[in-house]
Amino acid sequence: MDKQIVLDELKKAMLSCKADVIMAAVKSAVDAGMPSGEIIDGLAAGMTEVGDQFERGKLFLPHVMMAANGMQKAVETLDMGEAGATIKKVIINGTVEGDVHDIGKSIVSTMLQSSGFEVHDLGRDVPIAKFIEAVKEYNADMVGLSALMTTTLNGQRDVIELLKANGLRDKVKVMVGGAPATTAWAEKIGADCYAENATEAVEKAKALLL
Amino acid sequence: MATEYYLRMGDGKRVSMSKDKIKEEAIAGAGNAVDYGLVPDLSADEIDKIIEICIMPGKAVAVEFGMEVPVTHDIGTIRLDGDQGNSGVGIPSSRLVGMMMHERAFGADTMELGHIDYSFKPVKPIVSNECQMMEVAQQNMIVPLFYGAMPNMGLYYTPDGPFENPGDLLKAFKLDEAFASMEHSAEHLTRDIVWIMQKLMASGADGVNLDTTAAAGDADAYATLNAVKALREEFPDMYIEVGMAGESIIGMHGMLEFEGKILAGLWPHQQIGLVEKAGANVFGPVVNTNTSRSFPWNLARAITFTKEVSKISNIPLHVDMGMGVGGIPMLETPPIDAVTRASKAMVEMTGIDGI
Repeated sequence: MDKQIVLDELKKAMLSCKADVIMAAVKSAVDAGMPSGEIIDGLAAGMTEVGDQFERGKLFLPHVMMAANGMQKAVETLDMGEAGATIKKVIINGTVEGDVHDIGKSIVSTMLQSSGFEVHDLGRDVPIAKFIEAVKEYNADMVGLSALMTTTLNGQRDVIELLKANGLRDKVKVMVGGAPATTAWAEKIGADCYAENATEAVEKAKALLL
Repeated sequence: MATEYYLRMGDGKRVSMSKDKIKEEAIAGAGNAVDYGLVPDLSADEIDKIIEICIMPGKAVAVEFGMEVPVTHDIGTIRLDGDQGNSGVGIPSSRLVGMMMHERAFGADTMELGHIDYSFKPVKPIVSNECQMMEVAQQNMIVPLFYGAMPNMGLYYTPDGPFENPGDLLKAFKLDEAFASMEHSAEHLTRDIVWIMQKLMASGADGVNLDTTAAAGDADAYATLNAVKALREEFPDMYIEVGMAGESIIGMHGMLEFEGKILAGLWPHQQIGLVEKAGANVFGPVVNTNTSRSFPWNLARAITFTKEVSKISNIPLHVDMGMGVGGIPMLETPPIDAVTRASKAMVEMTGIDGI
């Protein structure tokens, strides 16, 4: 088995965004004797490429979802042994109170979900207390806070302060995003990171959680 | 030690850079546009011109004599009296006063009437008020006065509208339902834009400014371009300006076409042809500012994209220059040093017709 050829085939299959092609590539990899963990790494590399192509406007959101769906189905067919018990990292995502912008945040949720995270999207105009409730309910590892207006940015800080007041801040990472948010703002309010776009959100979530 | 020049990051933070560093950043920014948009790179002379503008000693700079261009304003109608920490400055004034101030005191070359929600859908139940305001404003003003609003197709999705939110449907892998929701919303958005503008045109409007087109992705662009086409057929002399929301049309749907071309993933130089075909008079291309990158990086990137649009375009370009676009940092009140440098570079280097 030429490992690199098999990995390239897995990546190529992911870029096709077709479940049957991805399933076939995974079956070939299994038949060639590749361990399940390495197959998943190959699929994940393909998913990263899908995200990059989305950012470049070469692939679109339905493609991202189709690729993620194919990957999910393919992984379910693998014998993961003990690794199969690995628990997904949980991310709470939402647009802060007073801000009704939804689309950018939804794209971030979709991309995170496509990358293997368990995402609970609370929607938009989310009261700050609801973020805290969700962190407790889902035992979250990260909170994603979106705001698209300068007038609602403070909501991101309010959620962080409420996390502190509830003794949860050290248990979760906080990512902020949205047009007026910046790295400087993230540092100022004590967030763990700022993401410029959906692709960067995935990269930073992986860096902080995996 | 090399001389350092004060510039900014894309988030507005003050930084100092040597001339060599500015050059390095400008080359990298232009290279990013080449990489993403597959547009021609800037020449060495053009990079030098960007450096020259970046290191000019004045806090504010200006275009050379004879290179002045018209400036138009979008939400200026309510910028004076906005008092909730948004773009406004809290001066109690009516919309008419706001528009007349822009015409007579601030030198705006065109102006628009806009509503606080600044989206077409919420105008439907109050269109009579808008028509009255348009008539009164036209009786008091000389500059071309348009009606301005965002297509804002997100308002047609739950929880704001009747159609299920495609973001939720996509996350649930319900692709066909998501496509149907976007297509139905687009039909309604086209119909609403046309209906509202029929009323406003009957009330004396000189045209329409479709602001932040494609904010909700390719279906938003699809609906807007079809509305432009319908309006052009009905009003051959109407002024129609199409301004974009972002540099690339996000593929929420992915398969919607206008005039045989898939809309998703189009960059500014690929958008202009379709805007022309739809029948618009003016196009407002957008290049987003990356807040983690420097001013020279962002400016060179914006110039590289816009230059290509300008080369291809057969209609006037009024480039979006402001908070977080056109190389200008993302700040509530964009810093004058960056605004004037970016504007000077954009006008002198790309051949645009207005801002």
